[in-house]
Amino acid sequence: MNKIKEFVNQFGLPRIIIGLFLLLLFIIAPFVGVKVSTSINDTLVRFGMNSVLVLAMVPMIHSGCGLNFGLPFGIIAGLLGATLALECEFHGVVCFLMAILFATPFAVIFGWGYGKLLNKVKGGEMMIATYVGFSSVAFMCMMWLILPYKNPTMVWGYSGRGLRTTITTEGYFLHVLDDFLKIKIGRLVIPTGMILFFAVLAFCMWAFLHTKTGTAMTAVGSNPIFARASGINVDRIRTLSVIMSTWLGAVGILVYEQSFGFIQLYMGPFYMALPAVSAILIGGASVNKATVANVIIGTFLFQGILTMTPSVMNAAVHTDISEVVRIVVSNGMILYALTRKTEASR
Amino acid sequence: MKQQQKSSFKKFLRFLSDNTVTVLFVIICAVSIPLSGYSLTYLVSEIIVRMARDSFLIVSLLIPIMAGMGLNFGMTLGAMAAEIGLICICDWGVVGIPGIVLAAIISTPISILLGWWCGKILNLAKGREMVTSYIIGFFMNGIYQLVVLYCFGGIIPVRSSKLVLPRGYGIRNTVNLSGIRLKLDNLLAIRIGTISIPIGTFLIIAALCLFVLWFKKTKLGQDMRAVGQDMEVSRAAGIKVEHTRIISIIISTVLAGYGMIIYLQSMGTLNTYNSHTQVGMFSIAALLVGGASVSKANIRNVFLGVILFHLMFIVSPMAGKNLIGEAQLGEYFRVFVSYGVITLSLVLYELRKKRELGDEGAALAAGQKEEGK
Amino acid sequence: MSKKRLLIRLGTLVGVLLLAVLMYFVGREHTILVDDKSVGDYKALATVDVGVDKQKSMELAARDRDKFVVTSQSHSITIKFTDSNWNEQTITRKFKVPVGLDTVIISLPTLAANPDAPQADWLAEYIPPTVVVRQDTTSETVNTEDSFSF
Repeated sequence: MNKIKEFVNQFGLPRIIIGLFLLLLFIIAPFVGVKVSTSINDTLVRFGMNSVLVLAMVPMIHSGCGLNFGLPFGIIAGLLGATLALECEFHGVVCFLMAILFATPFAVIFGWGYGKLLNKVKGGEMMIATYVGFSSVAFMCMMWLILPYKNPTMVWGYSGRGLRTTITTEGYFLHVLDDFLKIKIGRLVIPTGMILFFAVLAFCMWAFLHTKTGTAMTAVGSNPIFARASGINVDRIRTLSVIMSTWLGAVGILVYEQSFGFIQLYMGPFYMALPAVSAILIGGASVNKATVANVIIGTFLFQGILTMTPSVMNAAVHTDISEVVRIVVSNGMILYALTRKTEASR
Repeated sequence: MKQQQKSSFKKFLRFLSDNTVTVLFVIICAVSIPLSGYSLTYLVSEIIVRMARDSFLIVSLLIPIMAGMGLNFGMTLGAMAAEIGLICICDWGVVGIPGIVLAAIISTPISILLGWWCGKILNLAKGREMVTSYIIGFFMNGIYQLVVLYCFGGIIPVRSSKLVLPRGYGIRNTVNLSGIRLKLDNLLAIRIGTISIPIGTFLIIAALCLFVLWFKKTKLGQDMRAVGQDMEVSRAAGIKVEHTRIISIIISTVLAGYGMIIYLQSMGTLNTYNSHTQVGMFSIAALLVGGASVSKANIRNVFLGVILFHLMFIVSPMAGKNLIGEAQLGEYFRVFVSYGVITLSLVLYELRKKRELGDEGAALAAGQKEEGK
Repeated sequence: MSKKRLLIRLGTLVGVLLLAVLMYFVGREHTILVDDKSVGDYKALATVDVGVDKQKSMELAARDRDKFVVTSQSHSITIKFTDSNWNEQTITRKFKVPVGLDTVIISLPTLAANPDAPQADWLAEYIPPTVVVRQDTTSETVNTEDSFSF
């Protein structure tokens, strides 16, 4: 009995509930006519789409900057990269790679400034991160309107000026990762390319965390006083972690767009931090500790619930409460994490 | 002579740095108003209407700030309670002032319950109250949707079919509040030329301000201020810290509920699923524009904030149109400014906090050095 | 908690509840339909002038129906008409809308013929005629997106 209690405490009751819920959905699925192969297919695709965005959370959590609610800032860098790549009329895989190339300098500059800001406000990072994210999205809304883009698939038809709200990636880099080495098993299609891409990035992250700089980052997050005493430049490490998070956010949105098929501008990125934050928390991370395993488990569980709930619920009880489930699960998870006592208290 | 000039210049700089947000806003407004081309009477009448509409909501934010809980993003919960009350009176067909009073009475127990629950969670997240209340707002939105979109009309009977969606359950996107529209505003309204001043509403707002001033002097109010200053010291002094914090949130939520009712009777239509989410954001932005900070806010901030924030809000689209040729730019500009203001205020607050701690530490070190001599 | 405190709190709670009930009754809106149709033995009046409370009176011809919207329970209705003996008659009656009803219908000929009859004779609950309604296939999608207008 005690062992079970210990297990529950360590794993966290909400996580167990969510895991069991997802299992339940998968079990019910065939009985209400939802094809398991389609469900697994959809879940895998959504997993791939969101995985890098969730991975972007890891550096900042590790260095003690808290949950990166300012992910939209990195997403903006990615959007700038994507739109520039489209403007230059690249196609296919090249387009995707050029997008990453264009996004990188933006991500580094944004991340650097953002990191410096966070260093000045230690203790209130999360709230400020949220609003930096919001302000940047709102600012870019103005920019998307007046920046001199010319590509006819991107700008409004009548005026020829100002970008559209959604731009299709078809013909540019739609599915370049998804289709790469995709495996078909009967009706199940595994988007191998996308998952491989994530695996490479995840491996790099894991490897980085074991380097000298990486361990320094972990030290800064779990015990900043000790880290400073050991001669580590806390501020520099934190800024580095923010730049990494921002860059991963930029790449993450590109991975998302190539699968989703659309580039969403204006208010699109506004709330995109929340799903990523909940996903990593569901995966077992806390406000100042996160591993790559958390990313994988969390994204899978979260996206699994998002995929399965509508189809199963709809078929079973003919009501679509998926929106409510999404809100309650994602925000409930964040609340749970925020109310835990952390090892490195302020 | 030069010494005096220097120090008054320094004072001026200090004033600017302490009130950066407000000054910035005054500049923005001063530039945008002539650009927009709106007439003075139009602006004045619009501002008066909005002051009556929004001030109550913003005053409800004062008490948690006093108690050290920061900006109460959880006022959304009070707004939701008010909306449920309003849905009830619309269904029962109760109109006018009695309708407003009844909605307020219905919303109160719901607000108390939600405020209590919110306060309890905030006590578990000490030091992170603002982010937590922010997420609580989103979370409750989900629960609210569950109740209003699925239970109302089904498990909870709704008689009027005007309120219910065609599919048979769930409340519609917009609820017409014509029954209570402007009833409070028009109660004792005075007309000056084309401008109608809603004296009734202003009287209620004045009563609330008096209440807040009185409350600060009561034992409970003093307890809250002590808790806001330093939790551990208050605990040592025998104050029930957790209990006091929860009460501050409950009061704020209940007041937010009443404020929402005033807001909605002025608007005349209820956006069932959107009204409450925006309310929290703009109330907090307005309060910050008025010069409040995360730890200090008074009634002056409320009214100054409403005037400046809404001025900016009204003139931005036209100013944007006349400046660049796109009204849409002005609209995005005001969204950017609203969020930017909150960001700036939060950053300045943290910076000031660090500076004060640093000053304290330096003063302490200097004092010790003196003693050591 | 001292007994006095408990009593005061209980008292306030009861007071608020009573206030809520009062508000319900005072603020409840009703629709009064006035009908000038022949009912049974009572023939419809050629023209009749009807007024409820202080609202402007309306003129109805035979077979007409009109409505008044009122709040709260007790009202008075005043009708002016010319009866079969070519006399002008003015009848004023007070009535109370029964609790819980949204819409009531008053039969003017019945009232005109027996001005002192109990309310139940000429005032009844209005039940809209049941008509076959095809299933409402209009769909209203609920929009939960933020739109940023304050």
